[in-house]
Amino acid sequence: MPNNAMTMIRQRVSWLLVAGVVALIFVSYGATPAVTTALLASTVRQSTPLVLGALSGIFCERSGVINIAIEGMMLMGAFVGFLANVYTGNLLVAVLAAVLMGAFMGLAHAFMSITLKMDQIISGTVLNILALELTGFFYQQGLTTQGKLTPVRIPVLADIPLIGPVLFDNPPITYLSLVLVVVVHILLFRTVWGLRTRAVGEHPKAADTVGIDVIRMRYINVIIGGMIAGLAGGYLTLEAVGSFERAMTNGRGFVALAVMIFGKWTPLGAWGAALLFGFANALQTQFQFLGISTIPHQFVGMLPYLLTIVVLAGFVGRARPPAAIGQPYEKE
Amino acid sequence: MRKRTLLFILLSLLALLLAACGGSSEEPAAGGEESAQTTEETSGGEEAMTFKVGLVTDVGEIDDKSFNQSAWEGVLRAKEELGAEVDYIETKDAKDYEENIRLFADQGYNVIVTVGFALGEATAKMAEEYPDIYFIGVDQFQAPGTEKPNLAGLIFNEDKAGFLAGALAAQITKSGKIAAVLGTDLVPPVVAFKEGYEAGARYINPDIEIISTYHPGGLDVAFTDPEWGAATAKQAIDQGADVIFGAGGKTGNGALIEAASYEGVYCIGVDTDQWLTVPEARPCLVSSAMKLITPGVFDLVKMAKEGSFPSGNYVGEVGLAPFHDFEDDIPQEVKDKLKEIDEGLRNGTIETGYNPGG
Repeated sequence: MPNNAMTMIRQRVSWLLVAGVVALIFVSYGATPAVTTALLASTVRQSTPLVLGALSGIFCERSGVINIAIEGMMLMGAFVGFLANVYTGNLLVAVLAAVLMGAFMGLAHAFMSITLKMDQIISGTVLNILALELTGFFYQQGLTTQGKLTPVRIPVLADIPLIGPVLFDNPPITYLSLVLVVVVHILLFRTVWGLRTRAVGEHPKAADTVGIDVIRMRYINVIIGGMIAGLAGGYLTLEAVGSFERAMTNGRGFVALAVMIFGKWTPLGAWGAALLFGFANALQTQFQFLGISTIPHQFVGMLPYLLTIVVLAGFVGRARPPAAIGQPYEKE
Repeated sequence: MRKRTLLFILLSLLALLLAACGGSSEEPAAGGEESAQTTEETSGGEEAMTFKVGLVTDVGEIDDKSFNQSAWEGVLRAKEELGAEVDYIETKDAKDYEENIRLFADQGYNVIVTVGFALGEATAKMAEEYPDIYFIGVDQFQAPGTEKPNLAGLIFNEDKAGFLAGALAAQITKSGKIAAVLGTDLVPPVVAFKEGYEAGARYINPDIEIISTYHPGGLDVAFTDPEWGAATAKQAIDQGADVIFGAGGKTGNGALIEAASYEGVYCIGVDTDQWLTVPEARPCLVSSAMKLITPGVFDLVKMAKEGSFPSGNYVGEVGLAPFHDFEDDIPQEVKDKLKEIDEGLRNGTIETGYNPGG
């Protein structure tokens, strides 16, 4: 009973929080429409690579494979996507190249951590270093692209004040990331495939006894995770910036891990967490725009990380990783 | 057991691969002499007669379309006009600064140019060790009390360049709102650019709205985060800013490229003429707040040759880059006003108000 009551209270509190945020947005929109819209649009933009990175992590970790290589996968995807754009000039080909590169990185991670049963942290670290060195070595100054993915206005919806420009006037990968959040959520919690993925991540032996091919499930999941990380990289070079720079992921792959944990390994949770991180970044910028110096802007930037620690420490319900995470599966 | 062996093989392969990658990028520097790409045939016996100028780059290529290249062009001018014998070394690793400078010093070069703030320490040390060689440190501020007679730091009044950029921005804005997207405030020249920019804009229009932002990260990321620069530029444009000043390496470049995709938004680059360095930004790039490194380096080399080498800090010129495609769009009165301000900044009738000491 007390457990039930706790859950109820928690649900009420979260609904109250959501309602509070919505009310706050309306008040601020009433006061300064342009600034509020800009702030929220920036929030969505800055959250996109994070939510994609987190989805990548969810795929891997839900099936029991730790993925700290999101950063490296993103960077490789960003670089290969950029090169494809430079040499083919076709953005669709470039996005596919980024995704394919991500898949390849996923395969490498899967091979090392599943087949070779390597320590998954080491496998991930190796990939991160490899990505940094390879892209740094092969990148040449002066390569330029002809263009990047541009916003697509969704008619009618984009004309709604506030919500329109923030949600319905975005470039393709941003839309795709929103779709992916919902799709992955349904996949993970409403399909047989999702049930198997989770089983493999929680109790691989039990999954094996009912005839699920643990190794195969993990391989597929890690490769898909790599593909999404590659897409996140493609987002950076093909949609957000339009150009590549050495080490341009700048830790976004690691922040995505925090986002995944904050979201308790669920797609919707990760999306909410990514929005919070994005919002903190946007707010930090806005503070500087407004010349507010009473609160140092670094403090605002720190907020999401503090909250992640709070979540990890168990104050906001329990954040529990999949039980079999990090353990290679040994068939008996 | 088999698994173990396989793992071992894989790990060693990876290690090899990493070593190969790391190795090949460092190879020239480690090899020392090989990295000194001779661009000019050495003229044998008459060594005592020739005036030799060597340049050591910061990590990066000589044709980086930025600091290294600008400084090298100054050295090349010395070759043409002063008959100097010139050569350069591309630094591949920050650990090799001293090593590379020494390569020139030991070959009896008369002047050694080192490019970039990061080489300051190594340059000062070498200047002490080789008192007969003149050293020119681009962007290396010589703190009072540490000056050496054979070392001149070529520094720039970034605040004046920023002032011109701000004055331009304030004259071409239609919304009355301009923005600056900057690297970190941990680097003094960036702060100088910002303060100058804001002062210049207010000089034209005291009521102008200026929204400026520094990158929140540390030195390691603040200049290499184009997506942050782009997202920040968008956030500024979304709230009505129509001129974006991007000053912060690749972070600033991200802001310029972002601004290029908006109709009616102008952008202003920094350091060099970014028309050449960031072609993606051309649709919006009206000008750049430049540090004129090439003439500064040439002047110092010339002074070294003539025996009138200044020690301590030598202040190079700053100015706005050509308008390129916007030449016809910028009204003549704006150009006249900028010229007037430029003169005012030079003869001291206009002050930027930037005072790092106080």
